[in-house]
Amino acid sequence: MQRVVAEYISDLGAEVGYQKFYPQSDQFNPLHFFSLPDPGTLQEKVNCSSFAINVIGIARAPRGDGKEAIVLVTPYNFEDADLLDALSVGLTYSVFSLLTQVTWLAKDIIWLVADSRCGEYSSVAAWLRDYQTPVFGSSSAADSSTCDSSNTFYGLKDSSVIERKITDNFRRAGTMAAALVIKVIDKSEPFEDTLSLYAEASNGQMPNLDLINIVNYLAVHRQGLHVKVQKLTSLINAKWLTVLAQIFEYVGVIARRLNPQWKFGIPAAEYVDGTATLASSLYNQALGVPTGPHGAFRDYQVDAVTLEFSPKVYSMSKGRHKEFLVQGGRLIEGVIRSVNNLLEKFHQSFFLYLLTSPGRFVSVGVYMIPFALLVTPLPIMAASLYTKTNNLDSDAETNDLSIYQKSFTWLNAAKKVLLVHLWGAIVSLLPYAICHLGVSTPAMNLAVWSMLSVLCYLLFCLILGVRSAKSGKAQWAVLKSATLSAVFIGLCLMSVVNFATAEFGALLLVPMCLVIYPLKSDLHAGGLMNFSRMACNLALVLIGFPPAAFILLKGALDGFHSIYVGDFWIWVESLWAWNSATYLYITMIHLPCWLLCLHVLLHTR
Amino acid sequence: MTTAPLKLFSAFNSMAIPLLVLSLCLSNLCGSASASVSSSSETTMHTNNWAVLVCTSRFWFNYRHMANTLSLYRTVKRLGIPDERIILMLADDMACNARNKYPAQVFNNENHRLNLYGDNVEVDYRGYEVTVENFLRVLTGRHETAVPRSKRLLSDEGSHILLYMTGHGGDEFLKFQDSEELQSHDLADAVKQMKEKGRFKELLIMVDTCQAATLFSQLHSPGVLAIGSSLKGENSYSHHLDSDVGVSVVDRFTFYTLAFFERLNMYDNASLSSLFSSYNPSLLLSTAYYRTDLYPRQMEQVPVTNFFGSVMETIHTDHPYRYSKRKGSSKGKIEMSLDQAVQDEKRRILSNLGDQNIDSDTKCPMGSMIHMWNSILDEIEKFEDRDTLVYYGLVMMLPLLAVSSWLSS
Repeated sequence: MQRVVAEYISDLGAEVGYQKFYPQSDQFNPLHFFSLPDPGTLQEKVNCSSFAINVIGIARAPRGDGKEAIVLVTPYNFEDADLLDALSVGLTYSVFSLLTQVTWLAKDIIWLVADSRCGEYSSVAAWLRDYQTPVFGSSSAADSSTCDSSNTFYGLKDSSVIERKITDNFRRAGTMAAALVIKVIDKSEPFEDTLSLYAEASNGQMPNLDLINIVNYLAVHRQGLHVKVQKLTSLINAKWLTVLAQIFEYVGVIARRLNPQWKFGIPAAEYVDGTATLASSLYNQALGVPTGPHGAFRDYQVDAVTLEFSPKVYSMSKGRHKEFLVQGGRLIEGVIRSVNNLLEKFHQSFFLYLLTSPGRFVSVGVYMIPFALLVTPLPIMAASLYTKTNNLDSDAETNDLSIYQKSFTWLNAAKKVLLVHLWGAIVSLLPYAICHLGVSTPAMNLAVWSMLSVLCYLLFCLILGVRSAKSGKAQWAVLKSATLSAVFIGLCLMSVVNFATAEFGALLLVPMCLVIYPLKSDLHAGGLMNFSRMACNLALVLIGFPPAAFILLKGALDGFHSIYVGDFWIWVESLWAWNSATYLYITMIHLPCWLLCLHVLLHTR
Repeated sequence: MTTAPLKLFSAFNSMAIPLLVLSLCLSNLCGSASASVSSSSETTMHTNNWAVLVCTSRFWFNYRHMANTLSLYRTVKRLGIPDERIILMLADDMACNARNKYPAQVFNNENHRLNLYGDNVEVDYRGYEVTVENFLRVLTGRHETAVPRSKRLLSDEGSHILLYMTGHGGDEFLKFQDSEELQSHDLADAVKQMKEKGRFKELLIMVDTCQAATLFSQLHSPGVLAIGSSLKGENSYSHHLDSDVGVSVVDRFTFYTLAFFERLNMYDNASLSSLFSSYNPSLLLSTAYYRTDLYPRQMEQVPVTNFFGSVMETIHTDHPYRYSKRKGSSKGKIEMSLDQAVQDEKRRILSNLGDQNIDSDTKCPMGSMIHMWNSILDEIEKFEDRDTLVYYGLVMMLPLLAVSSWLSS
C-alpha cells in the first residue's frame, strides 16, 4: 500500500522517501520527564519484530530558497484502513498535487503519510526525531544497527519506474515553519460540516494563537464550516452555571444602562458555552498529555494543530465527496498560503492562553491573576505563624544566646518537610518497580503501590525516630508555616512548567493548607466555631488526597456508577507514559504537602 | 627737482585707485547688465524637470509601497519626464518574489488591468543600495567618482524637482529598509545644501507614510513645497486588499493622487491647488497636509505639469547659432541651457572691452569716458607686477599726507 501512495506522489513530480521505524513500548523511565531521549539510546528497547513504514513526499518550491518547509501529516493505518482514512489521504493528496503546480510557493511542502498501526503519535514522533537529529557517519539510519541490517523494504523495491525517484536516503527540506495534521472522522454531525480543532501539546504547551486564528477565520468566513473545540458537555447542563450566567448578564445590562461605554456583559448562553470550553481547555492543558499527533511537533518548537473534518451525516452516503474535498482542500490551501507568505514563524501572538471558543481566548496576563491571588496568602501566613510562635516562647530571659537558639526553631519542621518530600520522590519511583513485577490488573497495582508507600513511610519514621526534640508550645504552628512555604515554592515552580496544573493544585491545596488546625485543640475547646472548623478541615483533607479528588471529580462529571477502583492507576499510568510533569507534581508536591497537613491535623502535644 | 613729477605721479596714482574701482563698476554695470548670474530664483528660468522616486521598504508584505512608487513612475513618465531625468530607488524584491502569484508582474489595483513592471522600468538604485547615505548623496550631488551618470541627480538652478517618498514612517523619521532611519532634520539639511549649491529652482516633496507631515516640518529653504498624507499622530492606510495576490496593493493617498492624474495628459494645465484640494479626508481616513509657507508663488498659478510632467516650450529660429549683437536687456527666450548663455555673456564682455564699435557709444551714457579709462586700464594691464604698483601707490600716500598736514597746520 505504501508503494501505491509513493507511486502517486512520484507521478506528481515530487520526491518520495520512506522511513522505517520501530514503535516503542510504553516503559516507565524516570529520566524521560526531563529531556527527550537520545535517538541512539532508544535502540535497546525496540521490539524488532514489528516495524512500520512512513511515506514522505516533498514538493520543492520552484522559485523558493529551500530553507523552510510546511508539513502536512495524514495518519493512515496501512494494515487496517477504512473509508474515512482513505478519504483523508485523498484530501491531502489533492491539496499536495495542487501545491506542486502553483506559482506562489515559497516554502517546500512535506507530506507525511504516517503509519499509525501502533498509534498516530508514535509514528509522527519517530519521523520527527529522525528529521531533527541528523546522524552523520557510518550509522546512517537509526534502525540499521540493532535489528536487521538490511535496510531494504521487502516488496517495495520492485518496479524500476519507482527506483529513479525513491531513495533510501532520508529526505529533508529545511526548518519547519508550521504543521497541520489532517484527519477525517465520522461523528455523525446532524446539521453541518464540522471542523474540530485540537491544539494542546505535552505539558500544556500550545501553538501560537495566530495559527488557530487563521484556521478559524478561513473555516468560518470562507468555507462556511462550523468550528468546534473540545467542551465539557456536562457543564453545559449544570444548573448553577446557568444561574451564574444569568446573573452576569443582568449585571452587564445594568452597567450598560449606567454608562454606554461599559460593554462587558455577554449573553448567558455564550457564558455557559465559554465556561465549558474554558474548563475543558484548562483540564487538557493540566493533564499535560497531547491531544493529537500535533503534540510531537511542539517538542521541536513547531506550531501545529490537528484538524478533524467531520462531514454532515448524509453527505457521505449521498456521494457528496467532491464538495467535501473542495471545501476541505480550499481551507488547507488557504492556511498553507498564509503560512507561506510569512517571512518568519509565528511570534506576534500569544503562546500562553486558554481558549473559551474557537475565536476567543484568555491570555496569560489575565489568567495569572487568580493564581497569584490564591498563592499570595501562603507566605504571609507562614511568616505570621512563625513570628507568633517565636514570641510565645519568650520567657523573661532575652539574652543573645536564647535569641540565637530561638531563631533555629524552624529547623525541626524543615527537616520533617524535607523528609516527607523525599518520601514523595520514592513514591513516584515505585511504579517503575511495580511495572517490572509483572502485568496484573490496575486495581492490584494500585493496592500494591499504596501498600508499598505506607511501608516506606513507616520505615522512614522508624529509622529517623519520632523525635520531638524541642517540645515547645505550638510546634504544629512551626510545622504549618514550613508546610505553607513548601507549598508556595512548589506551586510557583509548577506554574512555570505547566500553569494549568498549578492552578488546579492551588485550588485544592491552598484552602486546605490555610485552614488546617489540630483536631485535638478543636475538640478540647468545643463550641460551634470549632466544630465547624473541624468539619471543614476533615472535608478539605479528604478532598486533598489525590485519588479521592480524582474519584470525586470523575463522579461529578461522569456519574458515580461508572467508577472502577483501578481507574486511578490507569490515569496515572497515562500520565507517566506521556512524560507529563503533572505526575511529578502529584507525587512530589501535592502528596507530601497533603501528608504534612495530615500531620498538623493529627498533632498531639 | 624730482619731487614735482613724483608728486604729479603720486597724485595721479592716488587718484587712479578710486577711479579704477569706479570704472570697473561702471563697465560691469553696462557690459554685464544682461549676464545676470544672480541666485534669486525669481529671476532664473524653469528649464527642466527631475523626479526622485524613493520606496524605502522591502519584503513581501510591503508590496503596496513598491506599487505606489511604480505607479508614480509610470505617471511621471507618461506626462513627459524621460528616464534620464528620473531617479528610481526601489528594493526590487516584489516582482520576482517566490510568493508572487503573477511572476514579473506588479499591480496597483485588484482588477489587474495595469502591469506596472513592464518592459520600460529603469531602476537606478535597487535592493540594498537604497540607503539613507545613497539617498542623501543623490540629493546633494556628492558622489564617488565612479558613480555613473544615470545614478546622479544632475539638476541645476532651473530645475523643478519632484521628490516622492513612501514607506513606513513615524514622528520626524522615515524608515529605510528595516535597518536605518532618515530624520526630518537630515532631510532639511540636504535640501538646504541643494539650495545653496543651486541644484533646484523649485522642489515639491510628496510623502506617503504614517505621520508624513512631520517629515518636512524642519524645512526652511525657500522654493520648497511639501505635501504629506497624514498629520502627526495619524496613520496612513492602504486602500484595498487584493485577495488574489494576497496583500494590499496600493495606499490611499497615492491611489487618489493617481486617480487625479489619470484624467490628465501632457498639455493639461490643472493647477496644484486643484490637486491638493482633491484629497478628501473622509476617503483618505487621514488628513493630507501641505505646506506652502516656503513657496513664493500662488498654488492656483502653478500647473501640475511643472513638477509631474515635462513640458518644454520650444522657440523656432530661422538660423541656428547666429550671434546677435544685442546689448542691455537680452533677457530673451533662450532655449539652450544656462551654461551656454553664460558663455555667451562672457564673450560679449570681452568684445566690449576690446571692440571699438560705435554701437557701444550710442547705447551707454558715459561711453567716451569709459573708453578713455579702458585705454588707461589697458596700459595698467601691461604692468608686470600689479602688486608693486599698489604698494608704490600706498607708499606715495604718506608724503601726500605729510604735505596736507603741513598745509593745514
